[in-house]
Amino acid sequence: MIKLINTLLFFFASLGCAHAQLLSGFESLSNGKDLNQWHTSRTSHQGTVGNFFVENGAITLKQYPYGQGGVLLTNKKFKDFELYVEVKIDSFCNGGIFIRSTESGQAYQIELAMPGGTGSLFGEAMQISKSAEAIEIGKVWKANDWNSFRVRMVGEIPTITLWINGVFMWEVTQPQNDFTAGAVEGMIGLQSHWSALYQPIPGGFNMPGAWRPGAAHRFRNIAIKEL
Amino acid sequence: MKARMLLMIFLLSGEATIAQKKLTNCVGMDFVLIKPGTIVIGEFKPPYPVPDDTVKSLPHDYMMWMGDGRGYNEAEFRLAKEMALQASKEGFLFQLSKPFYMATTEVTQGQWKKVMGNNPSQFKGLAGADSLPVENVSWDEAQAFIKKLNRLEKHKGYRLPTEVEWEYAARAGAKNDIPWKEIEASANLNKKTPMAVASKKPNAWGLYDMLGNVWEWVDDYYNERLFADREPPSKGNQHVLKGASFVGDVKNATYMTHAGGPGNGWDVGFRIVKDAEDQDD
Repeated sequence: MIKLINTLLFFFASLGCAHAQLLSGFESLSNGKDLNQWHTSRTSHQGTVGNFFVENGAITLKQYPYGQGGVLLTNKKFKDFELYVEVKIDSFCNGGIFIRSTESGQAYQIELAMPGGTGSLFGEAMQISKSAEAIEIGKVWKANDWNSFRVRMVGEIPTITLWINGVFMWEVTQPQNDFTAGAVEGMIGLQSHWSALYQPIPGGFNMPGAWRPGAAHRFRNIAIKEL
Repeated sequence: MKARMLLMIFLLSGEATIAQKKLTNCVGMDFVLIKPGTIVIGEFKPPYPVPDDTVKSLPHDYMMWMGDGRGYNEAEFRLAKEMALQASKEGFLFQLSKPFYMATTEVTQGQWKKVMGNNPSQFKGLAGADSLPVENVSWDEAQAFIKKLNRLEKHKGYRLPTEVEWEYAARAGAKNDIPWKEIEASANLNKKTPMAVASKKPNAWGLYDMLGNVWEWVDDYYNERLFADREPPSKGNQHVLKGASFVGDVKNATYMTHAGGPGNGWDVGFRIVKDAEDQDD
């Protein structure tokens, strides 16, 4: 059944539909109109305000004000799940899909950065035991276009699996649960990276390469199935 | 003075000798007197890249995050400058007219237990937990602690600091945001647990852990903007958090970060202030 659902989702994605029909067992996280199922983290180091909105049916992440990114979080928490999301990212911008995120954005993260490590598994604001790299991504990636991500996360000691555009990239079982305070559930998060400090600071540096001025990451047809 | 103990200490500051009043309350919380003064809130001057700048000095990990070098073209340099200058703000000057005593540390689990008779902290099982900051407390629970402490000492002087008071005390006279080396010396960051209060270097006014360890509730409602307004909202869904926590980093563990609840819970605590009396002016 899961295979069928994914096939159908990919079918809709391949048609370029802005609003795929919701499939059995999956819960939509994007209605193409507003961010009612989402909220902004007010304690993320990426930024506390964010510039998040729906445009042409897609959840869009930009910076605001200059240099300040942020994290957009689902209102609901998930434990074991399969997440489907279509992503279109401007180049030279560092973002990510957070899984089991805390309110402040500590999470396992699927990296979104072109050029860079798109599809890598990293920790966001926390050390994770085992990272991963989507070595085969070059064979399936459509530059400056929509690409689908399917992320599966199961287990209190999590096993995480990634497919991009329907092609298996990696599966990682962590040797331990890396979350502070042992959390076994969390939110889905979408990140735009900070790139400038509040002021020039002695000993501090800025990261202009982490987000191009005016650039965006876009997400559509976000759906999740609790397992 | 209803506190049990009043000490005068003398700090040498340049050629001047400054008296800094201290007091300790009925549950062993230490306070220092914070004298009135002025503070600029929300001075936002985000740096932007320029063509001759270099990123070669960055650690390798950060280079990776930044992608394949900087690679800005001329139009992007221009746009970055334009956006940064448009976003820049001078902030506003705020005059604090009354002195107040501020606790030198975050409220500890031990102090919470003495006042409230329970311990809501996620990290209560760690060795030496009584010296760790209490966490997993909502703003309302912090207020309940303050109410009970006031009742214990039979006055109404304890309260949460306002955001301006908090930032004024955290800066301890610093005009600009905090240099990263000072953050690292004074703040417990990038860790999996909080640490005992006052383990790191205090600021120039003797206050510990203003940055890092746990986020600290302040009195103000949160305005959902990058910085505070001159007048905080009269109502709202959340209150302001300041100072970042042990899972924070040098980006947000600064004087200026203006965050809002609820945070993670397990890294959210508070410190209290006490109104000064007339003789402290």
